[in-house]
Amino acid sequence: MADAPRLSHTTAMILQAVAAGHEYGYTVMDVTGLPSGTVYPALRRLEEDRLIQSKWERQSAQDAALRPPRKYYRLTRLGDTALEASRKRYPLLARLASAEEVRDL
Amino acid sequence: MNGKLLAYSMIRLASFLAPAGRRAAWLEEWRSELWYVSPEASARFSLGAFRDALWVRRHQPRHVLLESPLACLAFLAGVAMLAFLTAVCLPSPEIPAPGAHLRPRDFPGLSVAMLAMSLMFLAGIRAAMGPARYRTRPGRVRRAVFLTLKLALVQPVVVTSFLMMLLTGHVVPIAGQVLFSATWALTLRWIVLDQRRRCPVCLRLLTEPVRIGSASETFLEWYGAESACSRGHGLLQVPETHSTYAGARRWLALDASWKDLFSEAAERR
Repeated sequence: MADAPRLSHTTAMILQAVAAGHEYGYTVMDVTGLPSGTVYPALRRLEEDRLIQSKWERQSAQDAALRPPRKYYRLTRLGDTALEASRKRYPLLARLASAEEVRDL
Repeated sequence: MNGKLLAYSMIRLASFLAPAGRRAAWLEEWRSELWYVSPEASARFSLGAFRDALWVRRHQPRHVLLESPLACLAFLAGVAMLAFLTAVCLPSPEIPAPGAHLRPRDFPGLSVAMLAMSLMFLAGIRAAMGPARYRTRPGRVRRAVFLTLKLALVQPVVVTSFLMMLLTGHVVPIAGQVLFSATWALTLRWIVLDQRRRCPVCLRLLTEPVRIGSASETFLEWYGAESACSRGHGLLQVPETHSTYAGARRWLALDASWKDLFSEAAERR
């Protein structure tokens, strides 16, 4: 099996936020405290590296809510592996918005 | 000004940094995200759009222009012709000898003189741009011929800028000299850069650059960029920092067993 890609702390934080259920760019910014100029390029790079994948919201969902469509992100299998490796490398990472906390919101 | 309006204007302005082909999608994404941001935070949020647009521009897939050496020489020949025509159309500038003028018939001689000076100047430019040792015997003569042809074909451009310097010299004394020096130095720099970006075997431009390693993990590991020859002749590794184990750019020659892999990739493109 190929080694999981090694991520910087900032990138690992963003990946952790997406894994925890913060699926939109702005919510990732909110939970990580990182500026938009860091988060959006990082999300693009993660997508380019196939650690996450993005999808635009369905038309009907946004029509019903009378708001513009959102692009949401989800971890891929490779992203899961990379995040697992990053959690071992940065033990405090797991404290950043765990999936349970997001479900409680 | 309304916070959201300012933010929308900033995003619109930043969109001009994004490549034209991806601008509409990029703009839609940022406008959509902005809708969810509070008016107080919107201007700060939009500042990031500039960085993101630049990132998209830097990481867009590039179409390799002038990939083949023949296309490069044909392009330079066209530029040389254009420069020659410009020089012919310019009024004949005076030279220091009393009553003497430079005529179009002096152009070839001037180009040869400029070529000789460029060859001397080239060594300095190459040294300033850092070492590059490919150590590949095959193609050495071809590389030297290609470099000389490129050098010869850019001389009309240098000579034209020299004529312009003579013409504008007494009107704006410094501007002409700056233009001439910049044209000469930048042209020679481009020649060296172009030569280093080519496969030393087939002289095609190297493609598919990828980043290797990370700046935070340099213990016995190099980091930088690696490009490949589309014909599978080898890989060019360019370290970002110099160290005892990874100094100058290195050419990693691949044997014939790799050829099939590269031909498949070329077919997919």
